[in-house]
Amino acid sequence: MRTGMAAAGAAAAPAILSAQTRPPASRTIRTVMHGDIPTYDPIWTTANMSAYHGAMVYDQLFGVDDKLQPQPQMVSKYGVSDDQLTWTFELRDGLKFSDGTSVTAADAAASIRRWAVRSGTGQLMLQRLKDISAKDDKTFVVSLKERFPLLLDGFSSPSTPVLFVMRKKEAETDPMQKIDTIIGSGPFVMNQAETRAGSQYIYDKNPNYNPRSEPASASAGGKVVKVDRVIFQNMPDSQTAVAALQAGEIDFYEIPPIDLLDQIQTDPNINLINLADLGTVGYIGLNWLHPPFDNKLLRQSLLYIVNQEEMMKPTFVDRKWYAACGGWMTCGSPMENDANTGWFKGGPNLAKARELMKAGGYDGRPVVVLQATNIPYMMNAATVFAQQLRAAGYNVQLAPMDWANVVQRRANKGAPDQGGWNVFFTSSGGLSNANPYMIGGMATTGDKGWFGWPSDAKNEELRTKWINAPTLAERQAVGRELQENAWDIVPHMYYGQWRQPAAHRKNVTGWLKVPEAIPLWNVSKT
Amino acid sequence: MTGTILRRLLSMLPVMGIVAICVFLLLHLAPGDPASIIAGENATPENIARIRTQLGLDQPVWKQFLVWLVALVQGDLGTSMFWGDPVSSLIAQRAEPTVSLAITTLLVAVFLAISIGVLAAAKAGSWIDRLVMGFAVLGFSVPVFVVGYVLIFVFAINLKWLPVQGYSPIADGLVLWLRNLVLPSVALGMAYVALIARITRTTMLDVLAEDYMRTARAKGVATRSMLFRHALKNAAVPIATIIGNGIALLIGGVVITETVFNIPGIGRLVVDAIARRDYPIIQGVIMVFSGVYVLVNLLVDLSYTLFDPRVRG
Repeated sequence: MRTGMAAAGAAAAPAILSAQTRPPASRTIRTVMHGDIPTYDPIWTTANMSAYHGAMVYDQLFGVDDKLQPQPQMVSKYGVSDDQLTWTFELRDGLKFSDGTSVTAADAAASIRRWAVRSGTGQLMLQRLKDISAKDDKTFVVSLKERFPLLLDGFSSPSTPVLFVMRKKEAETDPMQKIDTIIGSGPFVMNQAETRAGSQYIYDKNPNYNPRSEPASASAGGKVVKVDRVIFQNMPDSQTAVAALQAGEIDFYEIPPIDLLDQIQTDPNINLINLADLGTVGYIGLNWLHPPFDNKLLRQSLLYIVNQEEMMKPTFVDRKWYAACGGWMTCGSPMENDANTGWFKGGPNLAKARELMKAGGYDGRPVVVLQATNIPYMMNAATVFAQQLRAAGYNVQLAPMDWANVVQRRANKGAPDQGGWNVFFTSSGGLSNANPYMIGGMATTGDKGWFGWPSDAKNEELRTKWINAPTLAERQAVGRELQENAWDIVPHMYYGQWRQPAAHRKNVTGWLKVPEAIPLWNVSKT
Repeated sequence: MTGTILRRLLSMLPVMGIVAICVFLLLHLAPGDPASIIAGENATPENIARIRTQLGLDQPVWKQFLVWLVALVQGDLGTSMFWGDPVSSLIAQRAEPTVSLAITTLLVAVFLAISIGVLAAAKAGSWIDRLVMGFAVLGFSVPVFVVGYVLIFVFAINLKWLPVQGYSPIADGLVLWLRNLVLPSVALGMAYVALIARITRTTMLDVLAEDYMRTARAKGVATRSMLFRHALKNAAVPIATIIGNGIALLIGGVVITETVFNIPGIGRLVVDAIARRDYPIIQGVIMVFSGVYVLVNLLVDLSYTLFDPRVRG
């Protein structure tokens, strides 16, 4: 299959034409995000950078406002039947794809189907789905077999994969096959003629975009584009990116290294800004298939050993950027609670940990910890974690490697001394971790589940109960039960929660807070 | 002469074949999984497995190698696992910045290094000689990225004379093109200048001690003429050799320099590809770099015939 930019180019005539005239610097925003775009299909992958790209060129049926509540975006009005089984949605007027064709209900229905196969929430919807059908060009209906209170949360979620609306033609592609045609109805159009994959991605203002009239609020409200062009520059060297920001060669840097923040803060032309209140959660995966952490008592011993404060500090230095969190779901989210957190409130207790290790029959076998050395916060957390475990009496073997190697090795179900592992470190968006269903790491479905393969029927029952709870208060109550159980079985752990500030030139304003995304609409440059 | 060139070109084939085998095996036997990276952090093991199948990574290594080798023989370097673009077009897109950086570095470095090397030899034992040799030791010892950051700090951040990063195509104007290349070329050229200057000085000292140079001096030949027309020409063979060997240094340096100065060249392409195990790009770039290196050495060998008539015989 010969795909990629060449194939996509044929469908990008408007973008190619606009490449002939380059907007002035005052109408161009240059950004450096946290990484490179691995693929242009934001449904096929859960990579955040593909979702960033998606948010530029595609639009959503619903967005979330600054209180994370779903609000209509492409939808003008919607309603649900009294039995909560039939949802009817109507698209607003004037929605057009970048190829000039109108967005229809059939496009939306096909997009929902493709997204649902790849999304955790979507899969829950599919289990309850009777049909999705277009009634006419503007109206589509979602018919359910049983109630699904999270429907709008799923449609509006900014967590990957995001429900972006594509043309029916692309949306009908097998969800397991990547699409490379980039035609959306979002606020920007990708300029494929000037884009250089891996180097810079260029997005021009979509002249056909018709924003809502309400003020912008997170990913809801009017997506008014106030510049002519946005460039995502791929700049992996953080020193260079900071220098480029100081020299005014870029306008925005998503992840300035914490140890360079002092240097940045002294620059009168640069502001630091927190664009994600829920931040990021550090996740410690534990392997349930092999000793020692196939043993509940030994997993519980970790609760009394791990000191999140010590694991965060080497990387994030100042407490204003990080916090310890004893919650099963993200601290600061509506699901935060203190059920069964005595271990956390009491702080590390090595005597108690040793009791549990003895009761659990720890035999001194090595604990293999995968350490991603090219991601500083994971590397530092793993180093401290290893030392904390050693202090308690565990025999720890750090296995340093790059992230590409970690993601391969953590899939190995073999014994740790045969290429497997006991512990790995990763991270998750605070919003994704603020509920028990969005990320695979919250499930306990055994060897069919996510890496670590924890198995617990009660957790699964409670997750289902949470999903079916109709109100926030009821979800919070189930959330307490989930946490009570989770800190008993310890499917995984956390090494803290942090907020990574972004840095921008002071003359570039209007940044919106959307968890796990960086919107470029509403941003202006003076 | 034509026969020599043809024979040397043919001798490249087994070398490139060995390079191909080594590159493929090293990459595929080393750990790392592009499918997991493409799939994203929240992907399920099933999704990752499906992507692996789509990319053909579930096939035995020998089979993957044969597929790649057959395509390579036909001039097809493969397709990027991430973007779906042909590797050859990605390399072509990135060639201009890398070639520009390499040529400016090479020209400046060779000119500067030979000049100071000759000067040091002519003033052997003087403070000028010690200064040049001191610079050579420093230039060869300090890593490219350290030189790069210092140059950025001084000339881009503090003095604001030159840009921090990036590349401006030559089509957008010669001045802009040069402005973006000054700092990376200096950073990259430091080690190269040091290497060539030291060899130039040593070789020149040997030549200057020859009888015929003493005769030339006794006959009153002007110093400049003696150094550059007579001595340098006779010292040229080792200097040309070290310039050719130094291309490997230059290629390695290009990779780092392009990262530090955010130049969208072939070096950056391969660094990014290594981080996510985009095998076709890594293999393609290494094959191209290896081909360039082998060709440059062939040209160096051929250049001996220009400098030394005895080689022609």
